Amino acid sequence: MDNLIIESTQSTPSIMTDYREGTVEMRGDSYPENSFELFSPAMRWIEEYLAQAGRPLTLNLHLLYLNTSSVKAMMDIFDILEEAHQAGGRVTVNWYYDEQNERVAELAEEFKEDCSFPFHITSQVE
Amino acid sequence: MELIDLFSLQQTYNQQRIMLCFNGPLTKSLIEEIGNALRNYMERENATASSAMDVFGAYIELTQNIRHYAARKGWDESEAAATVVIARDAEGHYVVSAGNILDAADGPELEARVRKLASLDKAQLKAEYKEQLRKPREEGAVTGAGLGLIDLARKAAEPLSCALRTLDDGRAFFSMRVVM
Repeated sequence: MDNLIIESTQSTPSIMTDYREGTVEMRGDSYPENSFELFSPAMRWIEEYLAQAGRPLTLNLHLLYLNTSSVKAMMDIFDILEEAHQAGGRVTVNWYYDEQNERVAELAEEFKEDCSFPFHITSQVE
Repeated sequence: MELIDLFSLQQTYNQQRIMLCFNGPLTKSLIEEIGNALRNYMERENATASSAMDVFGAYIELTQNIRHYAARKGWDESEAAATVVIARDAEGHYVVSAGNILDAADGPELEARVRKLASLDKAQLKAEYKEQLRKPREEGAVTGAGLGLIDLARKAAEPLSCALRTLDDGRAFFSMRVVM
């Protein structure tokens, strides 16, 4: 399976996947006008990985500001993970945030409310 | 051309504590550029990371809503115009205001929606937000998720306020204010 390497721009995060390691990393701000278009490749990659790999998947998120359309797209991704988890798959989300910015932690907490798989929210000094 | 009275403009800006303002067609890249200027300004003002993100977020949701509205109407880029003002009030709160032209027929519904959100408490707004988040995306929709106004109402320090002025060409001017 090919890995995704999407570079960040001012309004979009970098998205990198690693099939061998079973990881997806997203880093930066996300406020494009059409978030669905941005996140679709990642959604497809995650779905294919979960269907093929038979191994755990870990999402490492260093996301900062998300506009509401990015929030919607991230929720779609977490729904895919939740479904895999319900079916016995091993999925984990690690969301890292700068301890100076509690808004990011609040956002992550709100996503976590709707997820039953391991979802860790960790502060970092940046 | 008549000489623009910059002094009186400057006086108005100072009196109203206007940090940044913009008037005209709003393109995608312009939203980013002004957003950058806003972030730099907030950094210089030593705003906390959370408060800078709240103000930036209010600015992004308001301006992207205006672009999405124009796109839904099939208006061209020059018609996606907006008047955006970012100021501070006497208590030091940041106030993000944005106004745009609407089809007059769309005005009352939008006004009612903002007034309804302004009347809800934080718990009701959260429930409304989660409900909207769970609604299926419209087929082929490239516009927003319908979450922007609810998000603004949730994060605002005061209830949202808005005003609708009917113009005589079948259009209206809608303005909205968010205090962060």
